[in-house]
Amino acid sequence: MTEPVGIAIERVSKRFAAVQALVDIDIQVKAGEFLALIGPSGCGKTTLLKCIAGLVAADGGRIVVGSRTVTGPGGREASLVFQDFALLPWATARENAEFGLLLRGAPATERAAAARHALAKVGLAGSFEDAYPSQLSGGMQQRVGLARALAVNPQVLLMDEPFASIDEQTRRILQDDLLRLWSQERKTVVLVTHSMEEAIYLSDRVVVLSPRPGRVHRVLDVPLPRPREALDVRAGAEFARLVDELWQILKKMQ
Amino acid sequence: MTPLLTPEPAFGRAGLAAVAGLLIVWEILGRLQLTIFVPSASTVAAAWWELLTNGTLARSAGSSLLSLAKGFVPAAALGVALGLAMGRFRTLREVLDGWINALMSAPLSALVPVLIALFGLGDTVVAATVFLFSFFVIVVNTTTGVRGTERSLVDMARSYGAGEAALFARIYLPAALPAILLGLRLGAVQAVKGMVVGEMLISLIGMGERLIYYGNTFLIPELYAVIVSVLLVALLCATVVQACERALVRWK
Repeated sequence: MTEPVGIAIERVSKRFAAVQALVDIDIQVKAGEFLALIGPSGCGKTTLLKCIAGLVAADGGRIVVGSRTVTGPGGREASLVFQDFALLPWATARENAEFGLLLRGAPATERAAAARHALAKVGLAGSFEDAYPSQLSGGMQQRVGLARALAVNPQVLLMDEPFASIDEQTRRILQDDLLRLWSQERKTVVLVTHSMEEAIYLSDRVVVLSPRPGRVHRVLDVPLPRPREALDVRAGAEFARLVDELWQILKKMQ
Repeated sequence: MTPLLTPEPAFGRAGLAAVAGLLIVWEILGRLQLTIFVPSASTVAAAWWELLTNGTLARSAGSSLLSLAKGFVPAAALGVALGLAMGRFRTLREVLDGWINALMSAPLSALVPVLIALFGLGDTVVAATVFLFSFFVIVVNTTTGVRGTERSLVDMARSYGAGEAALFARIYLPAALPAILLGLRLGAVQAVKGMVVGEMLISLIGMGERLIYYGNTFLIPELYAVIVSVLLVALLCATVVQACERALVRWK
């Protein structure tokens, strides 16, 4: 197991043509923390995540993941999980789970072992390994996406609305599984979401971004006890109060 | 998820029934002896058998198929290569897109006299005509396939450190493969058209020469026999490419 690392986001700005997407974003993500980014659509939360991943170059400021300043994509500290799963439709679940390792030049035996291990972690061992994505449900596809991210053993998971296109029932199960994985694996997680319940249920802190230009509007601590998946936290009064507090913040921003 | 389009054979059961119906109507019309230009199906079949057994068909089809291969193989290789490059590089696309689209819909038979002036009267002209007829549709389909690659797949591969070569081999090419194969299938059918047009215009070699000859000498059953043979060649080409599609795109 690798030690988790923190992420320092310092005065990050990004402009797309006429749109100022992000202005002076300052966020310190602690090592091993579960942080949620939330905000109205167009607040630049996905852009910020892509900046951390190095897929989008920030215009100003800097981002440090662990001890490495982000200059481009391909950093080994962090893995991305995508809203649309981003699975190769022509590859089986196992081949998809191996893909990150394949691109990093890992030998075939190591890839196969890591992929199998990662698929088992997300609950997809056995017969599903040879299925193509089109043969899997949305929930299972995202499990493959998560297995691919875990197979390279990253210290950070960057998740872009990972459960947004999954039905409510499956989403809750996946959220619980993610919490369980997170407590076992001790990874730093940055989760972009538009669901207030999801942000409160999963994270230690919620960063609320304001739209156009995206700025850090508020940071909300979530002092709910863990392990939340075992404590039935969703049913408690404190959970409802925090979701409402977040809603009040978001509502005033409109 | 069940795909809307499942692979189907070129002729389904209803298609075969329709062919049988057409043959019956054709036979009846022929037997009525309305005009010499509509010989009965059985007369055409007899003429076809005669051409097949006396070697005429093999000789002309052999020459035709050789020209077809000489034109289509380079068209496929260069068309896919150019299509991939155009799909990936915007500048190239901006320079060439208009030309490719114009030439795809242009009446290319008008260019055959120019080709004759360039290459002389021979099978090179036919191969060049085949190339021109099939090249552009392959380019356009390949370009479209590359352009249709999911943005998130590219982001995903880059996030794991994929460079330009890895992106091409592992994302763009496999993502474009179904469109490339469709382009090749349409291109193969176009190639057969090009073959016949080229051969008819120079009227010296291949099945096109036979068409002109039998047409001019009013050997109508023989003319129909050659037309049917050309159709069979086109069907065969499309079927071969379709078999490749099924073998290569198993994941759909």
